[in-house]
Formats: sequence, C-alpha cells, structure tokens
Amino acid sequence: MILLDVKNLTLEMDIAGDWIKALDKVNLVINEGQIHALVGESGSGKSIIVKAIVGALPSHWRITADRMTWRGQNLLTMSLKKRRQLIRNDISVIFQNPIDSLDPLLTLGDQLKEMIPKTNLTKGWFWERNKQKQDIAISLLHKVGIKNHELCLKSYPHQIASNVIQKFMIAMAVASEPKLIIADNPTKGMEVTTKTQILNLLSRINQVRDMSILFVSHDLLAISSMASYMTVLYCGQTVESGDLRLLRKRAFHPYTKALLDSAPSFRKDLPAKSALTSLEGTIPTLHHLPTGCRLGPRCPRARRECVIMPVSRRVHNHYYSCHFPIHRDTK
Amino acid sequence: MELFKVEDLIFNNQKQNFWSNTPATYELGPVSFNLKAGETLAIIGGNSSGKSLLAKLLVGLERPNSGRILMNGVEINNADLTSSCHDIRMIFQNSNESLNPGLTLGAILEEPLRLNTKLDTQQRNNLVVKTLRKVGLMSDHQFFYRHMLSDGQRQRVALARALILNPKVVVADEPFAALDPSVRSQAVNLLMQLQKDLGIGFIFISHNLGIVRHISDKVIVMQDGKVIESGKTEVIFTWPKAEYTKKLVDAHQALVNRQGS
Repeated sequence: MILLDVKNLTLEMDIAGDWIKALDKVNLVINEGQIHALVGESGSGKSIIVKAIVGALPSHWRITADRMTWRGQNLLTMSLKKRRQLIRNDISVIFQNPIDSLDPLLTLGDQLKEMIPKTNLTKGWFWERNKQKQDIAISLLHKVGIKNHELCLKSYPHQIASNVIQKFMIAMAVASEPKLIIADNPTKGMEVTTKTQILNLLSRINQVRDMSILFVSHDLLAISSMASYMTVLYCGQTVESGDLRLLRKRAFHPYTKALLDSAPSFRKDLPAKSALTSLEGTIPTLHHLPTGCRLGPRCPRARRECVIMPVSRRVHNHYYSCHFPIHRDTK
Repeated sequence: MELFKVEDLIFNNQKQNFWSNTPATYELGPVSFNLKAGETLAIIGGNSSGKSLLAKLLVGLERPNSGRILMNGVEINNADLTSSCHDIRMIFQNSNESLNPGLTLGAILEEPLRLNTKLDTQQRNNLVVKTLRKVGLMSDHQFFYRHMLSDGQRQRVALARALILNPKVVVADEPFAALDPSVRSQAVNLLMQLQKDLGIGFIFISHNLGIVRHISDKVIVMQDGKVIESGKTEVIFTWPKAEYTKKLVDAHQALVNRQGS
C-alpha cells in the first residue's frame, strides 16, 4: 500500500524579489514497510522536502503540487489542525543535528516522555500516569540499545555522547509508533563502528515493527547497505528513482552514474591511487540555476536539447528524466 | 632516505582541577613513524583518540613533552618556527571557518608569504596567482571573499594556502569530511595529482575508510592516545591484528558487502 505519494511538488522561495524554484517537480512515492533512500548533495533540497512533507516550512513560500497524499488523504487541502494531528500520529522525524534539535533546558527524560502519546496511557488513574510514562520511556531506551537508562533520562543533551544521543533521537521517533520515520542524515560525521550500529538499529526497526523509513543522506555506502529503493535528487529536481539494485547495475542518468562512481569503496577492481571519476564544476547556487535540466553545464553528455526540461520517463519501475540516458543508445 | 620522521613523540596534558588534587591527564603517544617523499599517511581512530592533537603536534601548534620530529634528517627545532612553517603546512578541519571572512582570498594567501618570506609585493602577487592556478582556480579569485565561493572552491583555497610556501609535508585534518560526493572526488583527484607533481608527503586524518584505503600508503590506527597498529594500508585492511582495528575494518567491510544482498 502506498503511504506517501508526492507528485510534481514545486516550491518557490522569495530571494531578493525573485521567485526561485528551490524544488522543481519532485516526485516521491513511499510504500509501506519500505526503506526509501533520498540521495542528493548539499543544497539539493533534501531537507526542504522533509520539511514540506511534515509542513514545517515558512508560510510565505509557495508550495504547489499535483498530488500530495498520505494514505489517500490530501495533505495540501487539509486544515492545519487536522494535518498536525495526522503528522503527530503517523510520521516522526529524526532531525539532522540531534544536539541542536533537542531542547537544551530540559532533561532527556522530560523530552522523551513528552513524545509518548496519551492514547498509550489509558489504563490506571491519573496519579499512576507518571510511573507508566517512566516505564515506557525506559523500555524504549532499552529497545534502541541504551543500557544505562537512568543516567540518560536524567542528563541534559550536552552531557551525552553523540552516538548515544543519536540513538535517543531514534527512541523519540519510535515513541509515538508512527507509520513512517524520516531520518534526515542520521549518520552524519560518524565513525564507522557507530554508523553500523545506527544503521542496524534502523533496519531492525523497519523489519520488526514494520515502519517505513525515508532515509535522507548523501552517504552512499550507508544507503546501499540498507535501502531497497532510491530516489536521486539534484538541485531540487528528481533525476532518477528506482530499485536500488537495478540502479546500481545500470544507471540511466549521468548524474547517478557519477555519484555511484565517486565512492571508491564501491569498486573493488579500482587500483589504489588511481584518479576517481568526477563531474567537472560544482553545484550551482540558487541564484544561478541553469534552465532546463539543471545538471546541464556539468553533464558530459549535454547537448543543445538539454535546455528544455526532460520529461520523466519510465522503464518498468525505474523512472528517469534525461534526454540522453546512458544505456539506451547502445542498443 | 626518509623525508619526515617522528620518533617517540609524547605529549602530556595536565589540567589541575580547582576542586580536587588529582590532575586530569591526557597522554598521547609514544608515536613514531616515517614518511618518504610522495607518500601518503592516514591516521584513523575513534572520537577523542588524539588524532587532531597529533596533527597539531606535527605542525608545531602544540609542543611535545619529549620525542623528536626530523625533516630530512634534521631535527625541527621548536624555537625556530620559520623553517618548520616553510616545510610543514596544515589544512584545518573545517575549511569554511578557517578562512577569514573579512579578507579577500588574495590577502589570505599573501599572509604566509608576508610573514615567512622576503619577497616584495609584486613577487608575492605573482606567486598568489600561480598557486591559485595550480589548485584549479582562476587569477580573478584573488579578489573574491569567502562567502562567494562554494564548498569545493573553499577547500581548494585551503589547499592553496597550504601549498603556497612549497612545503615538503602537508598535514590535513579531515579534509574531505564536509564535501559532497561529486566534489569530494574532485578534491581527492586534485590532491593526488599535486602529490605526483610536487612530491609532497601527505598526512591526513579521516573517518572515511573507503578513501583512506584508496589514497594512502600507510595507516596509523589510534585509540585513546595510543598507536595500536601501524603499517602498510593493504596489510592493515587485509590482516588487521589489533582488536579495535578488526572492529573498524569489519564494520567497513560489512557495509561494503551488504550492498546488493
């Protein structure tokens, strides 16, 4: 069943009097029980998509979409109150920087207890509620692998090691038993052993509790170890999306290919110290976005037609938008 | 002949706590390694394992308690920093914040020349332009400010600042961490190219084991201020001996192997 269905999401920002399209016709479909990876470099609008889904964007930005539904209910026409209710129950977000996104003045225990929905505490009298909340909080911490729960619940965010606090964020996200967890760059700046712990934890949550995960990152190694479906984003345009294994075997879009080639760990035959393949140039800023396909100026296969925005095309379950895809012309 | 040699470097940081009599200590080392011209050494290890501190000791930002740092067989004297400033340069962890936002790139790059060489204005300017070209920027970039550049370009400026005095060794603290994948491979390529052309020794700290494996010749693994393993990259990645190294390499391999399954 389709949980989240976003079609042609466009977001315009007002920068110095100009309306600039920060997101340009983004498509995203998340199925139930799936780990969906959203890949893109910084400034490609990954975090903006996350915020657009949960509705945390400033109201003066223009958001338009052909379709933006959550289990069949339209998110755009819904009243604000209802949307908040829905998102509180069904979606939770693990934000990018755990220490910054927690309240520094409250203990972690208070913040975790706040996340437990009231509906989980029906039995008992009101004076038993606090005890119940405490028990639920402790069991949540145990589930994400924090053993020293007492210390963790009493501490303030700055007192806790960064890998523990990341696990704590996951516990907070799981607390309301959502259908979808959005993990915004959860492994940023981590060393390998902690990273594997976090990834294992997320995959386990996905399997045991049947929660879908939208995994937003640019760490391809982490993504390919857990995700099953991948959407690649470049400068606010969805470039390619499809089954991860298929995508890795044969990418249609030059950008996806470049992205996959840029990680040396993917290629076992690569001799040490040889040059890595990379695209020329850098990511354009929002003020100087090229027209048409935004990869245009950096693309090795760009031709004159590329100034027109390519239509999204589909081969089986594999969507791509490029005028001159890589594997097609070899036939 | 070794270009750069470190012998039994030990650093002891004692902080006297106001309330208690037992001072909090952090010990680093003993660290010893050597580096030939054109070689790359990678330092890996967990958080607070003393990697950044080691980098600071090597460039002379902190003074070691004992041990020697030899450059071409001559000991670097901490009292005479000008020669070590010429030979060892550092790229800092966050290239964004290590550039002064109030100065143009030309002024940023000129500063080490003004402080360390006897060149006149014209010569300095020529050298700045030449170095900018070397790292793949244009000569017009000397009039730019930091905020006008992208991440990758900032990284190039940080590299240019390290290279402008023609160093023999460059020490870099997580040079690729803040970069995006496609820009990162550009930076890696640029570094390897410059290393091939100029024959500099390169010491870098990284979390990204994929890149470490790709570009380094030797690896040092650190934990809690101690070197627990060191040797050739291939050897360490294929036959790790210490428990911690095994954990690191296994975790990395597990990530690599799990894809596609």
